[in-house]
Amino acid sequence: MSLGFLAPLMLVGALALAVPIAIHLIGRQRAKVVRFAALDFLMATKRKTAKRLRLRERVLLLVRALACLAVAVALAKPFTSCERKGPMVTRGPQAAVLVLDDSFASGYLIDGKPWLRHATEEARKILTQLGPEAEVAIVRSSEGADHPTELTRDHLRLRDQLLALEPSSRPADTTRALARAAQLLAASSHARKTVFLISLGAKTGFHGDESPWGKDGPVLVPLELRPPKLPNAAITALRVDADPGAGSRGAAFDAEVGNFSDTPAKLELQLAIGDRVVARGSLDVAAGGHATKRFIAMLPVGVRATDASVSLAPQRDALSTDDRRWVRASLRDDVRVLLVDGDPHTVRRDDELFYTEAALRPGDREDSGTSVRTITAEELAGIDPRHRAAGSGAPTEAPAIDLADFDVVVLANVAALPPERVTVLADWVRAGGGILVSSGDHVDPVAYDHSMLPLLPQSLRDPIDVTWGAAPDERDSRALHLVKWEADHPIFLPFKADAPELASAKYFKISLLGPTTATADRKVLARFTNGAAALVEASIGAGHTLLYTSTLDLDWNDLPVHPGYLPLLQQAVRHLARKHAVGTDADHLVGSSVVLPTVDLKKLEVRGPDGLGAVFEGDRIAGRSSVRFTRTDRPGIYKVIGTDQAGATHERDELAFVVNLDPHGSDLTPAPPSMLPASGAGEGTAPDDHRRRVELWHALAAILLLLLLAEGLLVQR
Amino acid sequence: MLPKQLDPSQLARLGSLPIKARVIVEGAISGLHRAAMHGSSVEFAEHKEYSPGDELRHVDWKAYAKGDRYYVKQFEQESQLTVYLVLDASASMAFGGGGIAKLEYAGLSLAALAYLVIQQQDKLGLLACGDRKIETIVPPRARTTHLHDVLAVLDGVMKRGAAGDESPAEALGRIAELTRRRRALIILATDLFDTEDNTLRALAALRAQRHDVSVLHIIDPHERTLPYEGLTQFESLETSNKMLVNPAAIRRDYQERMEAFLTKCRSTLAGAGVDYHLAMTDAPLEATLLELLVARSRLAPGRRAS
Repeated sequence: MSLGFLAPLMLVGALALAVPIAIHLIGRQRAKVVRFAALDFLMATKRKTAKRLRLRERVLLLVRALACLAVAVALAKPFTSCERKGPMVTRGPQAAVLVLDDSFASGYLIDGKPWLRHATEEARKILTQLGPEAEVAIVRSSEGADHPTELTRDHLRLRDQLLALEPSSRPADTTRALARAAQLLAASSHARKTVFLISLGAKTGFHGDESPWGKDGPVLVPLELRPPKLPNAAITALRVDADPGAGSRGAAFDAEVGNFSDTPAKLELQLAIGDRVVARGSLDVAAGGHATKRFIAMLPVGVRATDASVSLAPQRDALSTDDRRWVRASLRDDVRVLLVDGDPHTVRRDDELFYTEAALRPGDREDSGTSVRTITAEELAGIDPRHRAAGSGAPTEAPAIDLADFDVVVLANVAALPPERVTVLADWVRAGGGILVSSGDHVDPVAYDHSMLPLLPQSLRDPIDVTWGAAPDERDSRALHLVKWEADHPIFLPFKADAPELASAKYFKISLLGPTTATADRKVLARFTNGAAALVEASIGAGHTLLYTSTLDLDWNDLPVHPGYLPLLQQAVRHLARKHAVGTDADHLVGSSVVLPTVDLKKLEVRGPDGLGAVFEGDRIAGRSSVRFTRTDRPGIYKVIGTDQAGATHERDELAFVVNLDPHGSDLTPAPPSMLPASGAGEGTAPDDHRRRVELWHALAAILLLLLLAEGLLVQR
Repeated sequence: MLPKQLDPSQLARLGSLPIKARVIVEGAISGLHRAAMHGSSVEFAEHKEYSPGDELRHVDWKAYAKGDRYYVKQFEQESQLTVYLVLDASASMAFGGGGIAKLEYAGLSLAALAYLVIQQQDKLGLLACGDRKIETIVPPRARTTHLHDVLAVLDGVMKRGAAGDESPAEALGRIAELTRRRRALIILATDLFDTEDNTLRALAALRAQRHDVSVLHIIDPHERTLPYEGLTQFESLETSNKMLVNPAAIRRDYQERMEAFLTKCRSTLAGAGVDYHLAMTDAPLEATLLELLVARSRLAPGRRAS
């Protein structure tokens, strides 16, 4: 630290120091001399006063001398320079953006205080140093954060923003924030443009190789505000599976733990189901590695679905937000499916339902969630009540079938049924059943029109073969593909918007549909590339019907050999049975949207862990099979409260879901300097040294004022 | 034509001390002194032409019958009164705030009294104290020419100026020795600035010896009010003490102390039976003398010197 003067010549003014001294001395000489007879009275009177007067005179001399000196020194504009602790900041008109890391990692405790507090303090200092003429914006670098639209000189508001800033629950997306900062600065007319990056600098916050700005971009000033190492441990994944080995209520919780530090760690974990801690365990995790801990636990008796969490406990680390992860654990109800085979075959692979059975009950496992019974179309006669009444005495006849034992009936390539059977089925559907009708060579549109209409969402027309007359090598290119499916529909939830496991399947032949029937809420869930409907849904009474315009085997398409076939069929039967598997395996991250099936509810309310949420009612829910909830801002359990058509309101455990942190944000390994975008020219000059000049004349002016005030008071006395 | 009231500072500018004394006595207070100072046992001395103010009982009616003119009979005192005038000429008497110095005021007063005393043909003695090195004493005589000697000495003291720190107490002691058993009238003109109250005690002792004692306490108005403004360095007239002070800050306290001092002097001397008169130097001299003479005329016959 050294002292210098901008106008050292002004120090000559320090000679003015002589003025008060001279005044003092002259004043002493100018004191009237009175030869006085009664001096003894005077001296006896005020010996103390005289002492005080002498002291006052001396203090007054000192104050006046200091005031003169202060004026001279202030005019010489003294300054001192000290090592920059902060960033290179110059004062004056300019445009600047403070990119502030408010990812959940910014809650990392450093010296007992969240890192974000240190960061906002630093940001406030920068604001002060930039001065009131600077146009500034604050851009938060957490993923999905709202960004400002313009720079402002309202520093007071910016300070309020800084004060109100709290760690979010999202990972850092520094690259996007820098790009936004560059956009804001590009709109400014100032020559000097600077981006101050106040970030934990985690590698995971940067993505892509592209720089957010070009050569003429702003000057980037990254701040080193973090210790070189920020050790952290986090639960990075949590999965729950049924564990039949532990009984019908057994569940296996697999918690993946990440150790983002340089030293191996022995971590204590605990599993809580509901509010109760049910298991504890420890886990050795290598430095920078991951390890999985499995807890086997029984779900409480009496509940079919509950929430569970695994946390690092009892001692959490400096970043506690990511030390816990939630999961929904629910006992799945088996969906009971009656498969009606319209084209049975002695060669299993050629059977109409060969792939369907495999998809609904993979590996024929008990825990597949589906129980399947396959019958032929003739055996379907067993559903007729009269037949059932007389059936016991006719051994050659089909065995009696009680439709109440099933949730879903699949009519796969079944020839048109007699009206009485259709009536029985339609009554059953109206009472809440679900029916899936697929097309095929046995499906005669005329006959279907004649008798099957009560079971269909729409009448059928003749099928078309798009490869008809095509040469074998052209066959594939003329095939149709599935496009435009309802991504928000529960059936398509497992699939992305352009999922190749569905889109790559080739359709060679499909049934066309006739004019729309009177079914009110008919809905096309998916279409082919030629615009023809592929999957149509409609409600019949309390039940649902689903019409698939192609075959469930390989006769008309090759979907059964594509990965999308199994989830599509499973979702379809679960949807028809209204036994959704929501929440059991879906891992929602903070900020993602969650699709909730409406399951005939009139009103649906979602409540997040902080009590906030959303209410869907009226137009937002009427006529929809699902709603989309987007306010997943906090990790934790989101409860769903539903009001059914009868007006009864209660918590819908099966719809509750959990939201977790994005585990990427837990890795705080610093990004190498090469990952930072190159600092642009900024069209301005940034100070190139690491020393900062502090002007002192303000302080001197304040001292001068105080001295003048003191002088005034002393003179008055 | 003299002004009705004599301004002491104007009077001081007049000629020699005898003239000043005559101006004061004949101009301002003629007619009073005779009654005040007449002896109790007298014998005829001479006739004097009547002048207004003379007592009618002394008019010689027989002479009037003879010459048709009024004559007043004058008597010679059978036993003469001895009057000692004591002038405090110590350095503190040199102070004269805005007008004449205290010494000059005191000198003029005593000169006027000397004139009166000699006119009454009483014995008049003079002592001046202050400077220990110079012995100033005029033994009492009653001759008219003696007045010139007394006034010359008085004039000399005044011209020499106030000096020294000798208290009047010593001079008063001398008088006690000189008068022995014969009672005298002692008139002291002083400022009584005596740190150890010796003067007050000496005055009381004289009074105890049945002498008639009057004190003219000469005080300058500035000493009473301390009217100075601004930073002032006060220097002692008698010692080397100095004091730099803002008078405004201490004025009130000083005035209280000064009043307490005056009250103490008055009460102490009154208690001892001493005739005390405070004489401010801005007061007309004849008024001061009149007050003294009137007060003396009112004294009980027993107290009156004979």
